[in-house]
Amino acid sequence: MKLTKFLMGAAMGLALASPAFADVKFGSLYPISGPLALLGEESARGLELAVDEVNAAGGIKGEKIVLERGDAVDNNQATGEARRLISLVGVKAIFGTYSSARVIAASQVSELAGVPYFELGAVADEVTGRGLTYLFRTNPTAANMGKDSIEMLANAIAPGLGKDPKDLKIGIIYEDSSYGTSVAGHQDANAKANGLNVVLKSGYPANTVDMSSLVLELREKGVDVVLQTSYQNDSVLFLQQSNEAGYKPLAIIGGGGGYSMQPTADAVGHDVIEGVYDVDFTQFEVNHDATPGLDKFVEAYKAKYGTDPRSGHSLNNYVGAKVVLEALNAGEGFEPDQIVAAVKAIDVADGTTAAGYGVKFGENNQNERASMMGMQWQDGKLVTVYPESAAVTDMRFGK
Amino acid sequence: MTTFLQVLLNGLMLGGLFAIVAIGLTLIFGIVKVVNFAHGEFLMAGMFVTWLITTRLGLHPYASVIIVVPMMFLLGALTQRLLIQPLMSAEDDHVQIFATVGLSTAMINLALLIFGADIANTPNFGLRTPIEIGPVRVLTGQLYIFIAAIILVIALQLFLKNSQTGRAIRAVAQHRVAAELMGVNVPRIYILSFGLGAACVGLAAVLIAPLYPTSSNIGTYFVLTAFVVVVLGGLGSIPGAFFGALVIGLVDSLSGFYIGSDLREAVVFGIFLLILILKPSGLFGKRMTLSHLS
Repeated sequence: MKLTKFLMGAAMGLALASPAFADVKFGSLYPISGPLALLGEESARGLELAVDEVNAAGGIKGEKIVLERGDAVDNNQATGEARRLISLVGVKAIFGTYSSARVIAASQVSELAGVPYFELGAVADEVTGRGLTYLFRTNPTAANMGKDSIEMLANAIAPGLGKDPKDLKIGIIYEDSSYGTSVAGHQDANAKANGLNVVLKSGYPANTVDMSSLVLELREKGVDVVLQTSYQNDSVLFLQQSNEAGYKPLAIIGGGGGYSMQPTADAVGHDVIEGVYDVDFTQFEVNHDATPGLDKFVEAYKAKYGTDPRSGHSLNNYVGAKVVLEALNAGEGFEPDQIVAAVKAIDVADGTTAAGYGVKFGENNQNERASMMGMQWQDGKLVTVYPESAAVTDMRFGK
Repeated sequence: MTTFLQVLLNGLMLGGLFAIVAIGLTLIFGIVKVVNFAHGEFLMAGMFVTWLITTRLGLHPYASVIIVVPMMFLLGALTQRLLIQPLMSAEDDHVQIFATVGLSTAMINLALLIFGADIANTPNFGLRTPIEIGPVRVLTGQLYIFIAAIILVIALQLFLKNSQTGRAIRAVAQHRVAAELMGVNVPRIYILSFGLGAACVGLAAVLIAPLYPTSSNIGTYFVLTAFVVVVLGGLGSIPGAFFGALVIGLVDSLSGFYIGSDLREAVVFGIFLLILILKPSGLFGKRMTLSHLS
């Protein structure tokens, strides 16, 4: 009796362990409701498209990928959903998360459980700065954003304006959560390292309904170049209120979701946003020679969701997910250490992915080849203008 | 000097904005004695409807007031009748508060479901045009909000003081049981008052929609400040809410400029705490709350 039970159990165990016709489950953990839902959903779509593409090509190691969705609506729920995905659903790895705060919370759960976590979109330093073993990040970070925005200012914008970058007065404003704060910190450090003159550095809460006093302060201090790291409402508010106060700095360089989105431009007016710069993930108006596979991605996106991609978040999540999934296909299997070994072997060169940047995990499992690009709003469209190899058109100076 | 005047004016306009959102909240609290945590979401709903009417029918956003205000009245009345009233007899008052918290979450996610997470941009029909008053500038839309807030405060005061229904409302606010004994239909007054409070926020929504992009979480941007304003002004006091809003607006604007944007919330809440310590009933708490108007 006991023996038959044991044998049956063993047989079932074998059946379950057998790879043929089985699915491999991965977690998709993004904020898909609540205040971060817009870009969370946009990011999740990138992962879905990568999975669709890999599945259509036969899956990984002969198995079909099934994505199990989790909703990281706030930090508590992010950890709760990570726990559910790992212990109830039994996912082999988690992909996510768009929001830095959410991944920082959720990855503590996955790290303890020894489940690999691939971050494809969150930018805060602390995500990979904590020395976790099972957390990898493919996307560019706050450090890239800070460095790339100051470089674009010093190397391209200031010369274009006919100014010595050291003569420009720089104002750094940022929403005061960990995202804006870390980007602003890197901008400040890079500006100082380049001998630039930062005259104001000020944070504000992202859910503010009035930025007029900040605009007045910038104007009083004669700030020539404003660097803003922001979400959407505060980007709209700042651009509208500076325009209405008659404050026209020589350049505004935005960073992050708010500045890269078409609804932002539509809300503030195309004439108001004309000439505004933006440093962010790779967007769509980019030199396609530098981003092979981008056209295919946009086609797949339109076919599945019926609209154009709403921001570059989907693209960057797609690129990161695809590189990781392809590495898993080439790897040994889906045990945590096999996954880690497989992704540590990744060596994808710059200029060969749809986002332009390559992938190679360096210190702290951060993709050391990740970088951002510089864009400018021209005639109501966000076009890539920096670096030159990826630019589709020249920068426009003077309004 | 010009800058100081501009900062001051910005503060007043911001105060007007907070006031128009807070009036409905204090009205509901003063009469029904329910803290409506879904107040911000009522605002959000009104703004989405304004956006729909303005973009689909091409009307001036202010024209949508004829639809939005009655619609919000209905929404408020239904909330009272279907959600709050059944809980009125609950042993613990907190049940009603949690019900409104639930309503708030449900409304945010319903909006997310219907409208998606994109911002909805109501055409502003020139309401974001700066006009110059001497050396300072103000947006036409902001000015209208400020004026509307004053008119709303006066109109509500007149209605509550002089009309038969207004007297009944005040009677219920003063003493629910006594009013019932005098033949006032208390549940009806509650439904009416909740509807009235929601209609006020409907008016606020119509005025705010052309100035701020609407999104499912726009209510959360306003509602915390609205609570501060209501408590500062004295719970249930309509003029109190107005002047409390002006105080908060001015403090916000002045501290944002002279102390720094990153510290302005600290200053606003610091002053809020200070006033409460010195005068726990709020600025207008003693004399002029609805329950003491006679």
